[in-house]
Amino acid sequence: MQLKRKFEKGEFAILAEIEPPKGVEISTMVSNATRVKGDVDAFVVPEMSNAVMRMSSLGGAMILQGKGMETVVQFNCRDRNRIALQADLLAAYACGITNVMAVKGEDPSFGDHHQARSVYDIDLVDLLQVVGGLQKGKDMAGIELSGSPEFLVGSTVDAGAMGKSPELVLEEMNKKMEAGTQFFITPPIFDLSAIEPFTKRVHLQQVNIIPTVLLLKSLGMARYMARNVDHIYIPDDLIRRIQKSPEKVRECVLIAAEMVNTLKAEGFSGVLLSTIGWEHKLPEILDKI
Amino acid sequence: MIVADKKPIEEIIEEVKNNEKILILGCNECVTVCEAGGKKEVGVLASALRMYFLNQSKEVKIDEITLERQCDHEYLEEIRDVMDQYDAVVSIACGVGVQFMAEKYHSTPIYPGVDTCFLGVTEERGLWTERCQACGHCILASTGGICPIARCAKRVLNGPCGGSAKGKCEIDKEIDCAWQLIIDRLEALDRLDEYEALCPLKDWSTDRAGGPRKVVREDVQQ
Ligand code: SF4
Ligand code: SF4
Repeated sequence: MQLKRKFEKGEFAILAEIEPPKGVEISTMVSNATRVKGDVDAFVVPEMSNAVMRMSSLGGAMILQGKGMETVVQFNCRDRNRIALQADLLAAYACGITNVMAVKGEDPSFGDHHQARSVYDIDLVDLLQVVGGLQKGKDMAGIELSGSPEFLVGSTVDAGAMGKSPELVLEEMNKKMEAGTQFFITPPIFDLSAIEPFTKRVHLQQVNIIPTVLLLKSLGMARYMARNVDHIYIPDDLIRRIQKSPEKVRECVLIAAEMVNTLKAEGFSGVLLSTIGWEHKLPEILDKI
Repeated sequence: MIVADKKPIEEIIEEVKNNEKILILGCNECVTVCEAGGKKEVGVLASALRMYFLNQSKEVKIDEITLERQCDHEYLEEIRDVMDQYDAVVSIACGVGVQFMAEKYHSTPIYPGVDTCFLGVTEERGLWTERCQACGHCILASTGGICPIARCAKRVLNGPCGGSAKGKCEIDKEIDCAWQLIIDRLEALDRLDEYEALCPLKDWSTDRAGGPRKVVREDVQQ
């Protein structure tokens, strides 16, 4: 509810990504989240990013939610058909999870179960509409529900992705908004110039855009991403800055915190901190915001 | 057409190694065009098997026949008189032909000699690519004549998925993003406004969701 309230009041929201474990050992996930729960408005629990099998987003979110932390649960259309999606949406809400995100779900060839068969019974825009339908009290077959959910609904937008036409990105975002999306998370942003072609075309007061701030872990990671991840722009200056620093990890933490502050000043509705495996670094970043 | 690819010879040997009278049965249609199961391939496979059995010092009779089709009764009937001469058949028609043979000749084992892959086109000699998944309810009218079910890795009907980069699909830089193709085509047709419309939910009951399918046409039944 906190997240919704922040959006409504136009206050800057801090989201943080917390990956569920690959296994049933949940203590690290829980302690990482607990450590920063006072500074984070909601934890985004990814649904098997990069198609790597691990505990589901729903499972992870239920655990954190049970410990009094607000979460955003993710759903994709890769692994469930329309029946399972609706069933788990109902389960999520009944377990106290009021924020949901529809995400695309990478192809299994990216992950660790290459031989899996994908479902794609419906697609992401359909899924967003399905959430809308459930909120109106009916399932996809038109049958009345006994008690309907009331979610804050999010999705992704490719704002700031290199090599994508901003018009097309806008078009995709409009489709998702029409389907009921209330907030959008972008790919990692390392420089405002990357997202400017997009922000020029939208009113940041009218749509909740949440850029992702990714914690670089090393010079190697920064260089690798700059060279090999097509859609992400990392300026050379930033790489030089890490290179020159005697304490590279600290510098990276500082860079992430500065990015958050820049985005806040720019008028975005919030940020999503992504530390991919380094969730223990969240307190350090949050300290500097 | 139905596109098939040759099975590795080792796999076929494993299927028939204990037989002594083998018929290699080709088909003159799709599998001939995709150079996997026509008369020429029947000859090549038969020679390879003869060579194998010779090396094993085994005397095995291997005959070659190629039918017009293997998915119609009348053509399969053409071999009824000779079928008792064989203790196994390797059909290098598509999976449809293999099964129809097996239904017709109940007491003879029929082995598949090709891997049936998809419904597609010959882009150039030696390159066949997929176009249709026979979903049972064609939506090409609204997608600029390009099928997102067969050509988008995620079968996204309101695409693109967000992963496409420089017009290529996120799962393979060699594959065109179907949705880029659709957008380009709608643009060329001056119908980009259709792209903005949301595609209705797909009813998969005409696809495999409804179990094995059939088409009944009373008007042509006798
Ligand atoms: S919409 Fe269905 S029938 Fe039409 S081309 Fe695609 S898979 Fe084939
Ligand atoms: S990149 Fe294009 S073709 Fe590939 S999955 Fe996404 S929308 Fe489909």
